[in-house]
Amino acid sequence: MQKTIAMILAILGTAAAFAETAASRPPVLSPAQLGITRAQHLIDKNSRDYEAYNALAVALARRARETSDPSFYTQGEQALDKSFAIAPGNYDGARIQVWLLLGKDEFASALEAATKLNKRVPDDVMVYGFLTDSNVQLGNYNAAENAAQWMLNIRPGNLPGLIRAAYLRELIGDPDGAVELMKMALDSTPPSEAEDRAWITTQIAHLKLATGKTSEAEELLQTALVTFPGYQYALRNLGEVREQQKRYDDAVALFQQRYDAAPRAENLFDLAEALQMAGRATEAKTAFAEFETKSLAETNRADNSNHELIMYYADYANEPAKALEVARREYDRRHDVFTLDCYAWALHVNGQDAEARKQVEAALAVGIQDANMLRHAGEISLMQGDKAAAQRYLQQASALNAPDSERARQLLAALSLTTSTSAQP
Amino acid sequence: MKQLKALLAMALLVLTSGNMFASSHREAPITALDRSADVTDWYAFVSYDHPDRVTMILNVDPLLEPANGPNYFPFDPNVLYEMEVDNNHDGIPDIVFQFRFTTTIALPGVFTGYVGGIAGIPQITSLTGPGSTGLSLRQTYSVTMVKNGVATTLAAGLPTVPSNVGPLTMPDYNSLFQQGVHNLSNNVRVFAGTVDDPFYIDLGAAFDSLNFRMGVGGILSPSVDADDTHNYAPDAVAGYNVNTIVLEVPITMLTVDGKLHGAGEKEAVIGTYGATARPSILVRRSNVPPPTPYQQVNREGNSLINELIIGTGSKDKFSTDDPKNDGQFAAFFLDPLLAHLFNSVLGLPIPPAPRLDLLPLVQYMAPICPGCGPQDAGPIADLLRLNTGIPATPVGKQKRMGFLVGDNAGFPNGRRPIDDVVDIAARAVAGILVDSVKYGAAIGDGVNINENGYGTTFPYLIPANSGRNSHHVGPGQDGCSGQPNGICPVN
Repeated sequence: MQKTIAMILAILGTAAAFAETAASRPPVLSPAQLGITRAQHLIDKNSRDYEAYNALAVALARRARETSDPSFYTQGEQALDKSFAIAPGNYDGARIQVWLLLGKDEFASALEAATKLNKRVPDDVMVYGFLTDSNVQLGNYNAAENAAQWMLNIRPGNLPGLIRAAYLRELIGDPDGAVELMKMALDSTPPSEAEDRAWITTQIAHLKLATGKTSEAEELLQTALVTFPGYQYALRNLGEVREQQKRYDDAVALFQQRYDAAPRAENLFDLAEALQMAGRATEAKTAFAEFETKSLAETNRADNSNHELIMYYADYANEPAKALEVARREYDRRHDVFTLDCYAWALHVNGQDAEARKQVEAALAVGIQDANMLRHAGEISLMQGDKAAAQRYLQQASALNAPDSERARQLLAALSLTTSTSAQP
Repeated sequence: MKQLKALLAMALLVLTSGNMFASSHREAPITALDRSADVTDWYAFVSYDHPDRVTMILNVDPLLEPANGPNYFPFDPNVLYEMEVDNNHDGIPDIVFQFRFTTTIALPGVFTGYVGGIAGIPQITSLTGPGSTGLSLRQTYSVTMVKNGVATTLAAGLPTVPSNVGPLTMPDYNSLFQQGVHNLSNNVRVFAGTVDDPFYIDLGAAFDSLNFRMGVGGILSPSVDADDTHNYAPDAVAGYNVNTIVLEVPITMLTVDGKLHGAGEKEAVIGTYGATARPSILVRRSNVPPPTPYQQVNREGNSLINELIIGTGSKDKFSTDDPKNDGQFAAFFLDPLLAHLFNSVLGLPIPPAPRLDLLPLVQYMAPICPGCGPQDAGPIADLLRLNTGIPATPVGKQKRMGFLVGDNAGFPNGRRPIDDVVDIAARAVAGILVDSVKYGAAIGDGVNINENGYGTTFPYLIPANSGRNSHHVGPGQDGCSGQPNGICPVN
């Protein structure tokens, strides 16, 4: 029966794709929605089917990703509660529980639970995936790398292992190597997994964009949007492409479309920034204000938009103390490179440049090549009077030719002007 | 953080795959998680219609349900598919044929791999050019020969044959199948695509602790055993497809000295196996390449060795190791547990261990290699040995019991699709090679043929079952032509 439904939907989807020449219509049901329907159907047939509740939890969590709506995680937990009520401690359920913890950004709890599962079943590839994820988010990169390598050794070419290894390669400064693995992952993902294919394609585009290959990125993002129309991650990256191209109003439109699809605080922050760049100051001010309200409402939750909130207080609201307060809280939770960078920037706007430099250099020591982070390092160094380091960091940021390189380029120009002026007799 | 949400969804593919397939044509625990790299069967034989050539068939990705859209069953572009030939009897491949696949999604907005006769898309009548518009999921492949460390590309960009979706989408599937036969230079032919799985077995009975159908399996009656044209028990693989790569090459490309040899000359005998591998990947790349660029996932020489002989705890190790190291599994070969099961379940006498009679399966010696002396045996290695000097038995005269009944061109002298490897291997394990009277019980499962038939010319297989119009065979159902009204027995 499940296959029948899938097949009918496939045919309908095909017909729809051809009937609609414009690539604007989403598939009839997303893979997650299809999963929810299938699981619910099994539950309707047998309410004691704990595996069906597990499947429902997975599909709901997947829907959370598709929509960025965290309430699906809560629903997923409720489905899991029913699974455990029927089959206490069932292993698949325990795995999904870790998955949900990660989805909710409860990284320390996820690491603890994954470590327990790893002791229970030592050779489960997926649990190593959870260990990788939680360690990455907490900034334990060596442990993450070991876990990801284990995945690839025991099952060469497995998709979750490839994706994780690709992300680690990006973090350690090997974007080309990351693209290589993402392409392999794409090759192994069947066409019907439209959202997975769109996601991987978007990630490749992100890597291209971050290394200055803007036109390649744009082409990939258009493909992702044909594969999964209206895909919010692709819209966001395409917005960045438009910013890079200085087509700010187009960027605003894309970030707006993305925020409409996934009305989360962090997405509103991107929109507000784009409005600011487009010179639409009044709209930007409104959007930033709305962002602050929304972000503050979730600031003490694990699944928050604190990175964006820190940047808002530091760069737009002129509230350095608030920036540092939020940054300290986030720093207490985890030490991943992005948190270190935010913390460093918050320290910097509070005049604590020595500590700021230590933190941002700790992040860069992981190897990541991120234009924004390098620019931060440059500005912090400059404030310390270390012009040589500043120049080096800003040049690296500029050379990446990423959307965030522009600001570094401006600073560099100003710096060389200063340097050359001061060098003249 | 945003990355993570996405990473998580990829976990799904693993979380859900565990429960989806619980069948067996998948032998090793790790391989069972890697469908597209799972070698189901390996064949090598002197071509029936070209006595100077050898055909090798590598089947992968088991039990493909013909109706299982929308993706059907592409080869995996990340898997290296290999056919390996040892011609100097050291158990190490001297010639390797490699196959690499490339996937293109021609219609990324379409939800299914193949579409035709609907929504303005014409029916699929061709693998390329006009008539191929509806082939959204397109695969092409290259063929490379590695000999003495030198790689030569024999062909590239060859289209594969898709699964048989059904008559509306693909009105003349046999034509698509024929279009998949590619004639290369030097009398080399190649085919890759989805086909009817030629393997046949009463899988359910075999794996239910040899619980064969009463009155049929276990010990076959002389009349059932002599019948090479009907089934008496359900063929669990009937109606399923498999992905295949078929390669035909002149024998002179394979022998150690590049010449044809008579059956009595040791140079006539080659050892072959099929394998799959995936690239070795280090998270942290360095200037030093990984010790092995590819990591073997699965292999097969003699059919059923891994399934029936190797212990579960060693199956993964067997799959990922090379034949030349098979000495480590000698205990399994020389005292197979299955023989003891025959003894306890079927009450059959079995020869005492060590079972040196089984060595011809894993070493170069008579009767497959009558020209081999003791010094030519080579290491214990699971290779499908083929004496290229033994002429092919003409179609129509081939016997499913192959070598055991005097059809010397059949298993275990190589393997043809018609060979009943289940019955032959069972009888070999039970000791028929030691004493055909004392240990010669007619063990069998009652499945004697692939009722869909066999190809008589290259690629020696038949087209894939139709997704819309085919069905499987089970106990109590139609599909056993040897039984009254064709109904397969349940008990």
